[in-house]
Amino acid sequence: MSEAFYITAKELAARGDIPEELVSSKHLIYSSPATLDFNSPGAKGFGVKRAGLAIPGSVMLLVAPGCCGRNTALLNELGYSERFFYLLLDDTDIVTGRHLTKIPKAVKELCEELDCTPTAVMICITCVDALLGTDMERVCRKCEETAGVPTVPAYMYALTREKRLPPMAAVRKSVYSLLKKQKRISNECNILGHFAPLFDECELYDILKSAGIKKVHELSRCTTFGEYEELSRANFNLVINPEARYAAQDMEKNLGIPFIELNRFYRLDKIRNQYRLFGQAIGAEIDDTKFYDEAKKTVEGFGNKYGSLTFAVGECVNADSFELSLALVEYGHKVSEIYGTVGERNFVFIKKLAEVSPETRIFSNLSPTMLNYEKKTEIDAVIGVDALYYHNDIKGVEFNDEKQPFGYLAVKLLFERLDKALEGER
Amino acid sequence: MKKLLKHISPLAPDDSGACSVLYELGGIVVICDAGGCAGNVCGFDEPRWFTKKSALFSAGLRDMDAILGRDDRLVEKLAKAAEQIDARFTAVVGTPVPAVIATDYRALKKMSEKKTGKPCITVETTGTNLYDKGEEAAYLALFKEFSKEKKETVAGKVGIIGATPLNTGLKTADIIKDKYENAVCFGMDSGLDEIINASECEKIIVISNSGIKSAKYLKEKFGIGYEFDFPCIPEETLNKAKELKNKKVLIIHQQTATNALRDKINGCEVDCATWFELNKDIAKENDLSIKNEEDFADIADNYDVIIGDISFKKIIPKYKGEFIDFPHFAVSGRGMG
Repeated sequence: MSEAFYITAKELAARGDIPEELVSSKHLIYSSPATLDFNSPGAKGFGVKRAGLAIPGSVMLLVAPGCCGRNTALLNELGYSERFFYLLLDDTDIVTGRHLTKIPKAVKELCEELDCTPTAVMICITCVDALLGTDMERVCRKCEETAGVPTVPAYMYALTREKRLPPMAAVRKSVYSLLKKQKRISNECNILGHFAPLFDECELYDILKSAGIKKVHELSRCTTFGEYEELSRANFNLVINPEARYAAQDMEKNLGIPFIELNRFYRLDKIRNQYRLFGQAIGAEIDDTKFYDEAKKTVEGFGNKYGSLTFAVGECVNADSFELSLALVEYGHKVSEIYGTVGERNFVFIKKLAEVSPETRIFSNLSPTMLNYEKKTEIDAVIGVDALYYHNDIKGVEFNDEKQPFGYLAVKLLFERLDKALEGER
Repeated sequence: MKKLLKHISPLAPDDSGACSVLYELGGIVVICDAGGCAGNVCGFDEPRWFTKKSALFSAGLRDMDAILGRDDRLVEKLAKAAEQIDARFTAVVGTPVPAVIATDYRALKKMSEKKTGKPCITVETTGTNLYDKGEEAAYLALFKEFSKEKKETVAGKVGIIGATPLNTGLKTADIIKDKYENAVCFGMDSGLDEIINASECEKIIVISNSGIKSAKYLKEKFGIGYEFDFPCIPEETLNKAKELKNKKVLIIHQQTATNALRDKINGCEVDCATWFELNKDIAKENDLSIKNEEDFADIADNYDVIIGDISFKKIIPKYKGEFIDFPHFAVSGRGMG
């Protein structure tokens, strides 16, 4: 029996390529209990099904074999039970595609039976239709004609997870696709990226206000379709999650709204630099001193209180686990283990980690060998749902809220919560 | 529309049923999917996922694997996992993806056995059928593959087929073993050796229709007789049902469970119904098969009392009679602890 596979940051950076054990397409995939919310978003988190219902007043018709919608029952507990419906496919449907002709009738029947007409119907399709090559745009147009309700496709194509437009990027495009072009208002903007809003206390709101932005729209804060429609009058989009980039490109093309991308960092100097560049891009001088100082004080206070701690960092967390690890090391701590998915995007952090923390062990949560995982390094505290699963006897924080931490507030919140978690031990 | 579910979520599918049977047997089980089906199994239909480790994996298929039928890649992945994890056999469980591309499971079995040197069983589930079909196929494949020799009969030893969380809501066999002292629940708190030694049993107890074909196989091959029972009716359900008098009652669950509960009720006219397979050999005259929400809505008002998973109540909001909850994990994901 093999031990859980890992590679040190130094070895990984030196290789220049990614070993097969860290590439999910090269091995069987372990849907570990540690990463269940990540692999199969159900009761927690947002998968395509829940995300597809981001448009206020919309309902979803899942057109799929029963197995695809099974875990949707978990969403009932979150109040979605009146918004999910299913058109089940049988063996003949999945081979012949005959179900496509039934979808408009099903949408009509649903709309007629619901107490109030939905603002939109999301048609969620799965791997079966990916393989059949279904033109769902066409089917949706037919549904609109039949039922008189806007109908939008949501592609839950797990088969295309690593493609240019993976399911979670595609669904972001879908949920903004009902917006219609209107006159833009110069002092309004949208924040695109997540299906839950930023924490109310996030400094980004203050910074935007100081730059003259009077109204910040977020899809997740829209409670009515009218509020949703206001999204198309924003002067620009702020994209804070790369998965929303395609949606932003679509909005630029169709609605004429340009976009700017901001990343979530946990290194204070990077946050400061990003705000400076952002200010330059929108022609405003941004003074973030107050927020920077507060976050710095929290980080330093934590360091003074606990000294240098050794962390294990997971990927089920509101952070890039490698960037966060780099930040922890830069703040004087150590990171002995990271459970994460290595890709081109975060390889830059691994190279830097290799310089400052070469012995950090990098594991892939998805590797079958994680079935054999045993703790073999010294760990004082853990960050992430998955890290807590592997080390349920060590203090730590999940830091995986639906509400999104960003900027200096994310850093401050993380260390405040770590302090609280570790305090319990003292 | 018959196939439209407007009130309940889809019931447990066949691939979940197959995995439920194979879960504790110490094999490497590969769900032949892109990831979503494995997520549904591990994240919803398999309550043991957090308490008992199992080498249950997703094949991680991608579009080009499916379009080009790259079974060799799947076998490579399986062989690699077999080198990394102790396992006595491998198993491949089907989903809609191999169903659409017509995967040749026989070839997959041969290729896997050659590459890993371990026996491989394949369960041709499609994700479109219900869990009992998947359980049935998995049990039968297991017994045919591993229960080949007649062992000396062990006096009093009872073999239980059908003890899965989806049928019983249980994560361990304790409650069942309370009733049957020298019992082995195939696939629950027992491993592959018990399947290999199945012919030691003096008697087989079938607690779900999914076990009937295997029980018949064991009878034919080794002459072991079988009976039906369902020793895990929740106490609250049982007590409420026993109190009923002079009522017209409908019990809904999987068929061995409905039959077992019917036997406990006196002084009422009781019919049984199931959303899963209705076996006419163990059904009474008025027993029913429910195919969809409309079917259920049509018959509900004929009864004073309905005993079934409470989630079915959503289908009949105007029903005036009494509804007694009889949880069924394969329906609502609610178990007995």
